[in-house]
Amino acid sequence: MTRTFSRIVETVADFFLIFIIVFGIYIITHGHLTPGGGFQGGVVLAAGILLLLVAHGFSFARKIPEELLSDLEAIGGIAFILLASLGFGQSFFYNILWHEKLAFAEQVGRFFSGGAIPLMNLSVGLKVVAGITSGMFALSLFGGEES
Amino acid sequence: MNTIRSILAVSALLVILFTFILISFNPGYGLFSFGHPEEKSWRIALYKYYIENGANLSGGANIVTDIVFDLRGYDTLGEATVLFTAIAGALALLRRGGAK
Repeated sequence: MTRTFSRIVETVADFFLIFIIVFGIYIITHGHLTPGGGFQGGVVLAAGILLLLVAHGFSFARKIPEELLSDLEAIGGIAFILLASLGFGQSFFYNILWHEKLAFAEQVGRFFSGGAIPLMNLSVGLKVVAGITSGMFALSLFGGEES
Repeated sequence: MNTIRSILAVSALLVILFTFILISFNPGYGLFSFGHPEEKSWRIALYKYYIENGANLSGGANIVTDIVFDLRGYDTLGEATVLFTAIAGALALLRRGGAK
């Protein structure tokens, strides 16, 4: 097993991964209140996993479960379309959770507001994390398989 | 086979061109053509409406997320589809034991 970087780099990457993951989850879950959203937070989380990949090298990339990632991406996409089709009484993408005050219907500016928007942020974030992570691992494995 | 395909492609192109010409010579279209003062006032009215009523229409305090996930949701659906297609193509080409 060849080490890409020294043990110091690996430890520091493991340490800072915690803060990157917390920041990404914050951006995803507060997408309807502060700047950000599912796409941006998902890319932040994927950048954290990319830091782990750079620090640990190909031995880490071989341990990734590809089926789990593709399942997560499929779950995110299906949840997004199901949330959009909740409002089929009016139209596609009608925000029925907010207009009918069913769930996530507190005052504007509170955390549980926005109807389907926070749930859509979550599903899109899951989809972006899984998709970009699996793409990165496919690229890195393609480079490392020959050596 | 190739001739049939080229005939199909040329006819599709002609249909698209004909549709654009038909739309742009429609007298109702010129009312909102680019740079027309009427069009400018309508455009300003649209974004003012979004900024003033977006929070009540979709319930989020962040107006960008309101527009992207509620008022213009089809755009986000297309973006997610583009991302999914790109990742699926990359994985199909680069997976372990894939295309040699």
